[in-house]
Amino acid sequence: MFEQQLVNGFTLGLIYALIAVGYTMVYGVIELINFAHGEIYMLGAFLTLSCISMGLPLPLAVLLAMLATAAIGVLLDVVAYRPLREAPRLAALITAIGMSIFLQNLAMIIWGSRPLPFPRQALPAFFAEPALRFSEVTVTWMQIVIYVTALALMVGLNLVITKTRTGTAMRALAQNRTAAALMGINVNRVISFTFALGSGMGAVAGVMVSMYYNTMYPTMGYLAGVKAFAAAVLGGIGSVPGAMLGGVALGIAETLGAGYISSPYRDGVAYAVMILVIIFRPSGFLGRSMVEKA
Amino acid sequence: MRGAFKTLLYLAAAAALAYPLTPFRDVYVLHVLVLIMVYMVLAMGLNILPGFCGLLDLGFVGFYGIGAYTAGLLTIHYNMSFWLIVPLAAVNGAFFGVMLGVPTLRLVGDYFAIVTFGFSELVVLFLTNEIWLTRGPLGVPGIAPVSIDATWLATLLGVDSRWRYAFRGEVPYFYLGLLMVILVYCGMRRLEDSRLGRAWLAIREDPMAAASCGVDLLAYKVIAFAVSAGIGAMAGAFFARWTLFISPDMFKFWESFLVLCMVVLGGLGNINGALVGAVILIALGELLRVALPRLGLPTETRFLAYGLIMVLIMRFRPGGIFTQVAETTMQSGLIKELRARLAARRTA
Repeated sequence: MFEQQLVNGFTLGLIYALIAVGYTMVYGVIELINFAHGEIYMLGAFLTLSCISMGLPLPLAVLLAMLATAAIGVLLDVVAYRPLREAPRLAALITAIGMSIFLQNLAMIIWGSRPLPFPRQALPAFFAEPALRFSEVTVTWMQIVIYVTALALMVGLNLVITKTRTGTAMRALAQNRTAAALMGINVNRVISFTFALGSGMGAVAGVMVSMYYNTMYPTMGYLAGVKAFAAAVLGGIGSVPGAMLGGVALGIAETLGAGYISSPYRDGVAYAVMILVIIFRPSGFLGRSMVEKA
Repeated sequence: MRGAFKTLLYLAAAAALAYPLTPFRDVYVLHVLVLIMVYMVLAMGLNILPGFCGLLDLGFVGFYGIGAYTAGLLTIHYNMSFWLIVPLAAVNGAFFGVMLGVPTLRLVGDYFAIVTFGFSELVVLFLTNEIWLTRGPLGVPGIAPVSIDATWLATLLGVDSRWRYAFRGEVPYFYLGLLMVILVYCGMRRLEDSRLGRAWLAIREDPMAAASCGVDLLAYKVIAFAVSAGIGAMAGAFFARWTLFISPDMFKFWESFLVLCMVVLGGLGNINGALVGAVILIALGELLRVALPRLGLPTETRFLAYGLIMVLIMRFRPGGIFTQVAETTMQSGLIKELRARLAARRTA
């Protein structure tokens, strides 16, 4: 029982981690909590659904959805956040909430407000079958696919951030935007790249969740977004490895909390973790403290 | 011109006041008007935090919910009088405000916003799951309406009858709501120009300068949070005794967002603006509620408009749509003079 909870929590945690890196990267470069990131994740699921219903195979559909959400992420930044770069933080934050609600309702208009099932026919038949079985623990093929994809994406992301020129520019921006601009970095282009990268990751997370729970609905981004944000805070906001660690830790904590403490308060675990971390250890696992204290 | 405008305004106010007593009154319109008043109080209460102190509070509806449930539960279990419940609910709201505020108000900006958001979600979870206390998702039905019991006065005067008036229909609630709006409005106006209000505005403009002038940041922020929470809870108590039914999903995040939207629309820190924002958004909501189904869209999509309004206001009119009104709200001569001097130095 415990081991099974651990496996399920790990699966969930990897998905949170994929969303959390989007929050943490954007926060790193422009110090904005991108509330609309949860909606990007939701759009990832719905766009994949639309691609599949047009007859595309699953991998191609996911790839297209990733590209589309990356474009939406960049558009979001250019249209909504960029004009407010020099405005007070409050204005950008309120705009982010506004965009989140706008996108959510747009999805409701396009796809309807009722939950839709994930198209089973697009998945290979062996997905639901157990891949590994140790005495009481079963790991399905779908979980294996989620593990492999998520881990591969995270390793790739880390490589992009640490090894490429754009990744270096991103890190420079996170340290000091003015200095980075003086070094000849095209600040807006790097910010757009960050949004694209984070949104693409979020889209994959959206597909995996809707596949795992076999459902998608326009408001799904809300709760997942909050939880992923909690994961980013737990890992230390601004730190990409921290977000991954925080996501996994939160996923496991939530599953165990639901299993052993109280299942109605399942969602409360994320809120409680978030509040406690912000109050007592604002730098999280791996971050530097970004919380200004008055 | 200004005089004529004022006369017109008074006439409109008088017409609005008399409306519920005229034979043209319509239950639906009255209901919407009372709803507007509830939101006016909420908007004025929320305005203290992002408006006066520059703190984004995303969990305001948590206090509204606490107030409503305090009122609802005290009514059905102890049959307590509304006039006793309102201060109790306000105190309970303020108590939770202080409990949340003391550890979290050291945080600024986004982190404070996130913590308040988490708090309001926890309130909803608590209301949904603690069935022994709140009946959970079923809600609390059968709350008694407001009543005025003056039997004690009758016995005092030696009259042998029950002087009791129970509120029925929307008309008495209209006037009760109006009373509440006026009281809160006057309180806010007095607060804004008081020592307390000046300290809040100083914190908003520049916390460090405020602290170096001797403003105890944490203490003043906690007071702001408590006052705001108390007003939210009071509106909740009124709401519970008006709709006579409350359930956890009435107090979700969207309500916080809606109230925030009103405050932003009217201009952060602008009390008159908060009132106008409440009128506009509730009226817009009612219009969309009728219009959207005709276009074949679910009524929930009206939030699309709210989200868009928020984004556009922040982009093009960050001071709200009534910046001029905002400037005339301040009455304190001291601040006006200081502002004039600052403006003069800037142009020099």
